[in-house]
Amino acid sequence: MEGELEMTVMWTLVFFSLFAGLGAGLFVAVVVTEWRNRAEAVRFPAAATALAALIVGGISSVLHLGHPERIFNALNHPTSGIFLEFVFMGLAGLGIVVYMVMLARGSSDSSRRAEATVTAVPAVVLSFQVGHTYVMASRPAWDTIILPLLYMATAAVMGCCALSLFAAQKKEVGTTRRAAWATLISLAVELVLIIAYVAHLSSAPFADASRSADRVLSGNLAALFWIGLVLCGLLVPVVLSWLLRSQKAGWLSPFTSAAIALAAVLGGGIAFRALMFTLGSGVKQYFGGL
Amino acid sequence: MHNCLVIDLDRCSGCHSCEVHCKMQNKIDLGVYWNKVLIVGPTGTFPDIEQYALPMQCQQCADAPCVKVCPTGASYRDKKTNIVLINKAVCFGCRYCMMACPYGVRWYNEAEKVVEKCTLCPQLTSAGEKPACVHNCCTGARSYGDLDDPNSDVSQVIAAAGAENVHSLPDEGNHPSTHYILRQETATWRES
Repeated sequence: MEGELEMTVMWTLVFFSLFAGLGAGLFVAVVVTEWRNRAEAVRFPAAATALAALIVGGISSVLHLGHPERIFNALNHPTSGIFLEFVFMGLAGLGIVVYMVMLARGSSDSSRRAEATVTAVPAVVLSFQVGHTYVMASRPAWDTIILPLLYMATAAVMGCCALSLFAAQKKEVGTTRRAAWATLISLAVELVLIIAYVAHLSSAPFADASRSADRVLSGNLAALFWIGLVLCGLLVPVVLSWLLRSQKAGWLSPFTSAAIALAAVLGGGIAFRALMFTLGSGVKQYFGGL
Repeated sequence: MHNCLVIDLDRCSGCHSCEVHCKMQNKIDLGVYWNKVLIVGPTGTFPDIEQYALPMQCQQCADAPCVKVCPTGASYRDKKTNIVLINKAVCFGCRYCMMACPYGVRWYNEAEKVVEKCTLCPQLTSAGEKPACVHNCCTGARSYGDLDDPNSDVSQVIAAAGAENVHSLPDEGNHPSTHYILRQETATWRES
């Protein structure tokens, strides 16, 4: 009786949240280097990349709109998820610009550190908010706090991984190792959240085959889950980060290892987001899918 | 004031005239729906088989999630009639309201790049007429009026039906206002 339940993947939103997560995660990783007084040479290019990622994410979200010229109408409703994304992305972007100016002008360590720390707040909130916007009772597969936490975890993974790439490029051995450690810890958290999310799919109300754990684990989404998310998004970066941490990858330079790990993590991030959209069927879809 | 529809499924023959008149009145493109008649069933085993028609449109939720998530305020509740409407001149086509709707009864207009849905025909009701689907229902299955007014058509139809025969779509905290009347003698309500 109902229309097709399947929800289509909204690729512009996939790339919006991916790049927003990368930008937020990378900048927070830069802030950690500030606090630990390490890897000075990495900070400017990493902050610039974080800013570029936020801009690419922002452009991607604008491309999703039917009427991009009405973008500032998003300021009409200050409690909506999109408004909050808009604000936190703007604050984080502005804060990164100020941080880069301070770096370029050689401001004092304490003032720069304070500015970076303040900017880290909207960046962290943004990485959570891009997932929280999707938490809605109408989409049982999305209606869980695990979802924004997973978005946050993927942002942390991407940020740590990207920092290890910059550190490897600048031959900052200590920072490369520490960033690889941080990547491993973030990946462990992501793994726990993925397991929790699959468990949520099994217990969510209004059970339906379109958003079942069976569909993810052994159905037509199994390839996306096992190859895209588990292999590409978890196992490959785990192995490469482990090698980076121990500096044992003689056959791969640290830079190449970090680059492959980051590419794999980005691929895993895309797989996770595509999976989320595909599972996002409504309680009822009387007029068909979205 | 809380205007909404009450649809008597015991009377509905599934003729689709509400759908057709909705399209004509609101100039809706081919393949696009603000109102659609669905068929539930057949269910059961011969000879005990049931089937009923279920006209579907915006449920005018009392706590509408589409209004809550809309970043532009394009989805809004009319202060006078309490009807959930869309200001298409403000909508920027993000489609979050479509995601938030528990029933999937909003439509993205590809030509205008905005979201649309049933409006309960304010162009008619503001002049004292009934929505096109109600006015043109061949079997008199559809009623329109103020749920808060005990003398309105909808309140009287609900009262006459008996509480056990009055149904609504699954409630996820959004409190759908549209009511459906279906007696067990006709068929078993299956939208829970």
